Amino acid sequence: MFWNARKSSVVAPPAPAAPRAGEVLTRSKVFPKFLAVVGRQPNPVLLDLGPVVGPNIAFFGERLACKIVIEDVFATIERAAVAGARGALSATLASQFARESASVDGILCWDAFDYLDRESGRVLAARLAALLRSGGALYGFFGTTDIELTHYTRVTVEAEDLLRVRTYPATPVRRTVLVTRDVNRMFEGLAVAESVLLKTSARECLFRKP
Amino acid sequence: MWKRDEAPRPPQSAAPTPAPAVPEPPARVEATRQPGRDLVNIGKSVVIKGELSASEDLTIEGQVEGKVDLRQNTLTIGTNARITAQVSAKVVIVMGHVHGNISATEKVDIRDNGSVDGDLSAPRVAIAEGAHFRGSIDMQQAKAGEAKPAAAAASTPPHAAPATPHAVSVTPPAASVTPPAAPAKPPASVGAR
Repeated sequence: MFWNARKSSVVAPPAPAAPRAGEVLTRSKVFPKFLAVVGRQPNPVLLDLGPVVGPNIAFFGERLACKIVIEDVFATIERAAVAGARGALSATLASQFARESASVDGILCWDAFDYLDRESGRVLAARLAALLRSGGALYGFFGTTDIELTHYTRVTVEAEDLLRVRTYPATPVRRTVLVTRDVNRMFEGLAVAESVLLKTSARECLFRKP
Repeated sequence: MWKRDEAPRPPQSAAPTPAPAVPEPPARVEATRQPGRDLVNIGKSVVIKGELSASEDLTIEGQVEGKVDLRQNTLTIGTNARITAQVSAKVVIVMGHVHGNISATEKVDIRDNGSVDGDLSAPRVAIAEGAHFRGSIDMQQAKAGEAKPAAAAASTPPHAAPATPHAVSVTPPAASVTPPAAPAKPPASVGAR
């Protein structure tokens, strides 16, 4: 009886909706750790480099009770691509973030670096590393296959360890494949806390600022 | 049977006469009363520069530059609206364009095609797919500051009679808008695009 009572009192979380065409549901081992690190900070500030996603705002608001700053780097990249000014991206990205250094506790890069050339990536990584507070974390993933990218990804956080990845059109660009050594060098000043190779052959990384 | 107008009518009290069926001209501030609550629409050809405050629900379809303050009510920024202002209200629904910070004591709701360039401060924020947003979202400070407006609301009776007939006021740096005295003639300070 006791066991039955316990069983009935357990409320299972709602199962995520099945992925629609063009969507992928991905289990993440690293993302829960990112949330845990940011959640430990008092009054955390979260910087999201992706497009604004309504459910994510609700998720982060409830889970982290944080201030969320949206800086859609993908929109910046697309504007530069349409204008034929990818070469000027490093200067644009250097001035995009008006915030003070050491003012952010968590950064969501998603896969932004796949769309940037090495110089722009280096500039962005250095700026992000400077924005992080000590003890803060940066989450991102890096593609490992050299292909032409025709879509950006929009990630919706379904649960702490479950991400729904959707795509939307991009001006085609060759992916910049970064090996682990390149990534570590780019994020100088940050330490790699987690690095996991996903089934999608992307490398999921968590960086910490000591 | 068809000559309904000629039939004797029951005597009416001092209740307000129903609004005419003829559509209002767009270039005016119009007040539409709904049962149980007040609602004011600002038409799409209305341009307001200054400080707009109200104690009833407000829908803006025109342009506002300056400041919008509806502390206890819902502000709906319509699809045609272009707001360049600091906005504060109980609930803010954005379907048009806003350039400026939005503060709500209850909720900010940016619908699909809504666009906001500015910072949001509210305990609850909803952003629809297709909406544009650039800025920061602060749900924490809004939650902490929620106690004060809620306490203030508790001390005032619900649906308290507004101080002015329409309870919409505009404090002008450059121009002023007051509710029109004569419906046929829009006030001179309301500019049409």
